[in-house]
Amino acid sequence: MPEVSALEQLPVAQARAGDPAAWDALFRRYQLPLYVFIFELVREEQVALDLVQEAFIAAVRHLGSLRADEKFGSWLFGIAHQKCIQRWRQRREILLAEIPETPEAFDDGPDELLIRREQEAAFMKLLAQLPPPQRAVLLLHFVEEFSLEEIAHITSAQLGTVKSRLHYAKRALRKLVLAQDP
Amino acid sequence: MKTPREVLLARHQAAEPKLDAIRAAVVLGLNPHSESPRAWAAGGWTLWLRGPKTLWRELILPSRRIWTGLATVWLLLFIINVSQRDPAGGGAGHSLRSPAVMMSWQVQQRWMDELLADRSAAPEAVRPRTVPPRPRTEENKLMAA
Repeated sequence: MPEVSALEQLPVAQARAGDPAAWDALFRRYQLPLYVFIFELVREEQVALDLVQEAFIAAVRHLGSLRADEKFGSWLFGIAHQKCIQRWRQRREILLAEIPETPEAFDDGPDELLIRREQEAAFMKLLAQLPPPQRAVLLLHFVEEFSLEEIAHITSAQLGTVKSRLHYAKRALRKLVLAQDP
Repeated sequence: MKTPREVLLARHQAAEPKLDAIRAAVVLGLNPHSESPRAWAAGGWTLWLRGPKTLWRELILPSRRIWTGLATVWLLLFIINVSQRDPAGGGAGHSLRSPAVMMSWQVQQRWMDELLADRSAAPEAVRPRTVPPRPRTEENKLMAA
């Protein structure tokens, strides 16, 4: 989990009290990961920036609905995910270009996936080619290393579905890495 | 070698100044002297106090299809209600007082009176007998004669 200590020290309680400095710290912590997540889903810079702003404003307005302060990160990403879905619906994009859920064991192996510099472009290209639901799960896994349960909560999906999506996405990435290995 | 997280964040590092500007704008909009985030979060009735523009933006606009649907249903109900009214404005009472109905009612009333009159006449069957009572044997003799 990245920056676990920072996550534990997030000033959510102060933000609840309306402290602007607390909100500034919260937004500073999440602005780039949130932007990466949104941009890689909507693939348009201006739209991604607009959605980040909308997510921030929604967070300020609805912080009262957050029950556990330590869940602020996944809660904020959940808001952002909803914004992306709304955007897709407005554009009538196909949301469920879905893969079948597999009951087989998930032999994903070690989570650590390292990418060499020459693989970066191919990695980004492959990421962009994944269906949006798989891409969302993979981004949440990579960018914030959310747990499967948290990802299921953020994306409003079943745990098994999340496992399946992550399995297929990681398998595709692993193929890419292995294919480009000398 | 980089982790996917490092690759992704590095790719979008250039957006950081724009994100700083967005963050600053949102935090500036908090304005603790006028309206705290808690008041925002309270929502509900405070929405009504923030003026029609806010009401429109936050209550109507996000669910505009639902509101349009409801408005259409209300309009249809109103039209149906208006179209079913008597144009003369008299309503049900007036239609009862029309000549044809009144005539029919009078005929029925007359029939009803006749029926009731027949029934009232029935008790005349127990009118007093003019011949004084006598034993049945004497009556039989008279009949035979």
